[in-house]
Amino acid sequence: MTQKTQAAQAADTAPVALNPDPLELDDELPSAFSKVKLGPSHPATHGTVRLNMTLDGEKIVECIPEIGFLHRGFSKSSENATWHQVLPYTDRLNYVSPILNNVGYILAVEKLIGITDTERSKYLRVIGGEISRMCDHLTCVSAIGLEMGAMSAFLYGVEAREMLWDRVAEMTGARMTTSWTRIGGVATDTPPGWIERVKETLPRVLELTDELDKLFSKNRIFVDRTRGIGVIGADEAVSWGFTGPALRASGVDYDVRKAHPYLVYDRMEFEVPVGQRGDTFDRYLCRLEEIRQSARIVTQAIEQMPPGPIIIDDWRYALPPKKDVFTSIEGVMAHFKLIMEGIHVPAGEVYGFTEGSNGELGFHIVSNGAGKPYMIQVRAPGFPIVGALPRLLQGHSLGDLIPIFDSINMIGGEVEQ
Amino acid sequence: MAQALIDLLKEKLPDAIVSSHTHCGDEVVVVKREQLVDVIKLLRDEPAADLKLLAQIACVDLLTFATELTGGGSIASQEAPAYLKASQGPREPRYQVAYNLASVKKKHRLRIRVELRSDDCKVPTITSLYPTADWWERYCWDMMGIEFSGHPNLQRLLMYPEFVGHPLRKDYPIQRRQPLVHEHDFPDLVRGPGPGPGGAGVPMSQTHVGRKNVDPNTYE
Repeated sequence: MTQKTQAAQAADTAPVALNPDPLELDDELPSAFSKVKLGPSHPATHGTVRLNMTLDGEKIVECIPEIGFLHRGFSKSSENATWHQVLPYTDRLNYVSPILNNVGYILAVEKLIGITDTERSKYLRVIGGEISRMCDHLTCVSAIGLEMGAMSAFLYGVEAREMLWDRVAEMTGARMTTSWTRIGGVATDTPPGWIERVKETLPRVLELTDELDKLFSKNRIFVDRTRGIGVIGADEAVSWGFTGPALRASGVDYDVRKAHPYLVYDRMEFEVPVGQRGDTFDRYLCRLEEIRQSARIVTQAIEQMPPGPIIIDDWRYALPPKKDVFTSIEGVMAHFKLIMEGIHVPAGEVYGFTEGSNGELGFHIVSNGAGKPYMIQVRAPGFPIVGALPRLLQGHSLGDLIPIFDSINMIGGEVEQ
Repeated sequence: MAQALIDLLKEKLPDAIVSSHTHCGDEVVVVKREQLVDVIKLLRDEPAADLKLLAQIACVDLLTFATELTGGGSIASQEAPAYLKASQGPREPRYQVAYNLASVKKKHRLRIRVELRSDDCKVPTITSLYPTADWWERYCWDMMGIEFSGHPNLQRLLMYPEFVGHPLRKDYPIQRRQPLVHEHDFPDLVRGPGPGPGGAGVPMSQTHVGRKNVDPNTYE
């Protein structure tokens, strides 16, 4: 492939004409293919991915993504930990929206056990998850701008994200490594005054989102570099395994929260933004609109959330309150068994799926009835989308690679597990 | 809903189905390996099924399914005693490959499962039906050593090409290390307990790397 074409060889040896025919100037220059390797730690590749490209001038002839630089053996580690010890590993899958991973994993385990969490915990999971989704989309949207030279727009996005991460930290105790859910509920309730602070934060976040909208959506440079770039049709996107904003940008109205409602999403009023063209610009617009819809969901969930316990009162699955551990033999026994042996999840196989920030986040879980998972295989939403990168880049130039790669929002942690 | 899919399969391809069941709300159909491609093609193209989204290909190694006991982490992890393992014998068919299929229009799901014996873990590829199967099959090959016959490019996906073995198989120990940096330049390199402060022969507690042909007593 890298060999010079015959025309190129002829051009090398031919004498240079002093007065070239003007028509010849419009001919395509014969050129040799060159190989460029982008990554694995290039600033524009958010994760650690290497793109092996064959270029014809600036046109991408072939692109082979190479992943695995961030592989930490999520599945193997999970098989050697109790069901709750897997939870911190899930934080590190998609580290921009960890609560969504926590919720997705715990819902899959609860599906296998056959229990549901308390009413209040359902609302708390929705609130935490949607705040996480906003963080993820804000990062993605502003990073698209950053990598096309719009540094100040990125700062608006990060300001909004930091405020949300502060709220997450106040509730869960950590900005990113939250490990906040538990089987049968969540770890911590909202701290005093938290609801009021969220109500103050959301309008400011929406204001900054509008600011991003104004800076990008009608910006000539931004639109020229994203519209009509990386187009993929609806049928093709489905066959490539696209889900989430990337699929909805292609015009497919599929959102797990609407198609298979879990938690309390069926009680929430929200729209699912759907694009028309399936290009980079529509993927950006879908994410931007989802930030606003997530804010709507958080506002409604805060209004509807009932008081009550945040974790179920079943000591086979949930740790007993410390008061009972110290004062009753049943409490001590339950605590000891849960810590030393883990939760006994009945033997079986289940595929639990939720709407992650990049699409359908699935956990294929097998249990043999012991205190630890027999097998966990994660369906990272970004995995099939990165696999489709050669298709998305078809016929584009090297400069288009950056907006396309940003708009699919590859997160190394989840794709490379 | 998914019962309709199973009925459809039974009507169109009655020989392909081994069994079907529902577990925790998931519908599962176990099919014969020889007719896997036909089954999935039918489910994809039939308007009533419309399973156009291949969410995931998962693979399970059932080697220690009956013998792995309770506990987690390195402290409480227990293996069943040898006599128990011997009484149960090798688990066959050892591998399962599960195709989690979904329909984005009809909003239903179905899992197709193929069971494989350890001496013949080959499955026909479905990359011609779903382009996304390319990476999932490479993942399964890399992690579990399931061979997808007919795959255009069955390379490792996450591990590096020099890696030996398949890490998610249950007989691959979690502690095994395969450093990518070769040590071929030093054929006399040894690993293990080295000379302690008292000279050669007194093992040190930590792992020691040294040269075989060098007198251990000269170590500082």
